[in-house]
Amino acid sequence: MSVALGIDLGTTNSVAAIATPTGVEFILGPRGDRVHPSVVAFPTSGGVVVGQDAKRYRLTEPANVIHSAKRFIGQNIRAPLVQLAMTGVRYKVVEGPNQQPIIEVRDRKITMPEISSHVLLHLKRCAERQLGAHVKEAVITVPANFTDGQRQATKEAGRLAGLDVMRLINEPTAAALAYGFGKEHKQLIAVFDFGGGTFDVSILRLNGDVFEVLASDGDFFLGGDDLDRALAEVLAAECHRMLHFDPRPHASIMTKLSMGAEAIKCHLSDNDIAEGDIDGIDMPGGGLGKLSFQIQRKHFEELINGYIQRTIDVTRGVIVSAGFDPADISDVLCVGGSTRIPLVRQRLAEVFGKEPNTSINPDEVVSQGAAIQAGSLSANLSSGTGMGARDAVATAGHSTLAAAAGRSGKTLPMGAAKRPILMDVNPATLAIQTVGGFTDRLLDKNSPIPIEKTRVFTTARDNQTKVEIDCCRGEERKYSDNEPLGTLILDGLQPKPRGDLKVEVSFRVDADGILHVSASDPESGMRQEAHLQVLGAPTAEEA
Amino acid sequence: MSVRSDVLLWAQRIVGKKDAPPHTVLEIPQGSTMEDAQAAFHKLARIAHPDLHRTTLDEAELELVTLAYSRAAAAYQDFRSQRMQTTRIRPIGKDMIIPGARNMTADDAPPPGQAAPGASSMSSKALIHYRKAELSLRRGDLRAALLSLKMAIAADPQSAVLRSALAEVEGELAKNP
Repeated sequence: MSVALGIDLGTTNSVAAIATPTGVEFILGPRGDRVHPSVVAFPTSGGVVVGQDAKRYRLTEPANVIHSAKRFIGQNIRAPLVQLAMTGVRYKVVEGPNQQPIIEVRDRKITMPEISSHVLLHLKRCAERQLGAHVKEAVITVPANFTDGQRQATKEAGRLAGLDVMRLINEPTAAALAYGFGKEHKQLIAVFDFGGGTFDVSILRLNGDVFEVLASDGDFFLGGDDLDRALAEVLAAECHRMLHFDPRPHASIMTKLSMGAEAIKCHLSDNDIAEGDIDGIDMPGGGLGKLSFQIQRKHFEELINGYIQRTIDVTRGVIVSAGFDPADISDVLCVGGSTRIPLVRQRLAEVFGKEPNTSINPDEVVSQGAAIQAGSLSANLSSGTGMGARDAVATAGHSTLAAAAGRSGKTLPMGAAKRPILMDVNPATLAIQTVGGFTDRLLDKNSPIPIEKTRVFTTARDNQTKVEIDCCRGEERKYSDNEPLGTLILDGLQPKPRGDLKVEVSFRVDADGILHVSASDPESGMRQEAHLQVLGAPTAEEA
Repeated sequence: MSVRSDVLLWAQRIVGKKDAPPHTVLEIPQGSTMEDAQAAFHKLARIAHPDLHRTTLDEAELELVTLAYSRAAAAYQDFRSQRMQTTRIRPIGKDMIIPGARNMTADDAPPPGQAAPGASSMSSKALIHYRKAELSLRRGDLRAALLSLKMAIAADPQSAVLRSALAEVEGELAKNP
């Protein structure tokens, strides 16, 4: 028997789950944890170590431990954000073919999809051990504003791990699915997803079994990692003041301070003050030093306020683009570990005029949604799956949901569930270049997917036999102000006076959010289809 | 007639209506509202969404249904876009990029390992925040830029580039708070 896995492949942590007739069952790590760190270590002792066990190499061999790979996957290494991310990690990132970032570790070159495939393979193996069944298919979640290149690279990672990636779904949509599956809600909700590395916010209309995304926006470079770094800077300054040396050039000390910062951040979610010591700091003059700290929640909030403000501004913007007022939204779901920060919840309550919903588990809800979708796509879903999804709050042990469903006395036959219908949206406006360096929009941001739109263009010069179609992503009127996606060439056209020749261009965004462009000459029936080669994405030879 | 053949007949009909107006593709009367279109599209999706037929149709049939559904989605989007406005956070922009970092765009960023001109005088830690500030500026987020610049200065108090950038951003914030 083969099962379909739902996977939340996160920047810092990943969670996997499957839909069973009685609920969603989580895949546990070797030590029984539901949450698997997205960390891959290549220790000098040999081999590849993934997850919790990989994390312990961070202090001893920081250059051999790859974390936060999601910040690089499918990106162009020359993009400023990627350059920024490179300065924040201790391992070596170099430029590979097609401007993709590649990791150099222990004299090996490893692509980002390969790194992520190690995490996926780890989850697959844990699942096979736990379930005693083969895992062949998976649904993987991605941030809603992931680009084409990032999506393609994520699919490639799945393929490398030996998984048939049935679908990529957006993280906020997955959360909404877990929240509303089997409940026949008729309401508007907002999903605020603030994770380790990315931020998304989506507005959805729930109409029974239909989950329609109305608008979505975000920042794939804003998350808990940024808050940790801000706090680590404060600790570094404190170190300079108390221990009389600047720790910033020392990789292992900074790693220690970052880990300390993360712990302080979590502590401040439940307490007004964090006090303690970070010991075992290697002093430049030899010996070990101890750094005492005392950080008030108020101080931390001032430090992160700029980042939180950014999430709030995007949230307000997305409500407007969906054509609504904050008061129209009946529930606000908090997803992602960073929503545990009281300031985030407080600011959300101010925007919406009501307390956000905190009854869902922010770390697990995305994988629950992915599991439901995986079950649905493999036509292996029963209505018991949704039972108690909301009651899964911070409970330990993977059988809780099953037990809860069992207690409710409902035993439902397999296949009895109405399969949910997901209507996701494409995250960016897609356009082509026309005469004069301007753009002509083919698909607007927030259009429902899958979608296909065709437009007819004419030639600009007499006897033109070749047309080059430059495609871009972005909202700007001028082509050069947008992000170029690639060029499609239609050659061997019949020479005709300008304006007489018609070229039909069609943009299709599939259900994974991946763009396919084709051009044809409707008269001759000549058609050229090309999948745009996106810079930073794995090249065709690799795939 | 089975659901399967109904869906295939529908798909053939829609694909044949290429270039038809949106209401025709959605098979609703002319003059229908966004709400009518939404109700029609939801009803349609419950029967014809390609995900529902993934395991029962062959490849060519599934492609046909996907194409028809994709065209219906485009027709529905025409109705939706009447209601929704695409908001844009206007970058205050290209003129506001910090001096010395002008070359830092996605297309012509310096090769890895080489700092941006003008930024070479600051520590690598400061550079992280500096670049983040620049990105915030492009988004038009002055407050986030200010925060990043302050952190950059904390990391490298000596840098004159950073101080002048901070002054520029503070000036801009004072003008439009």
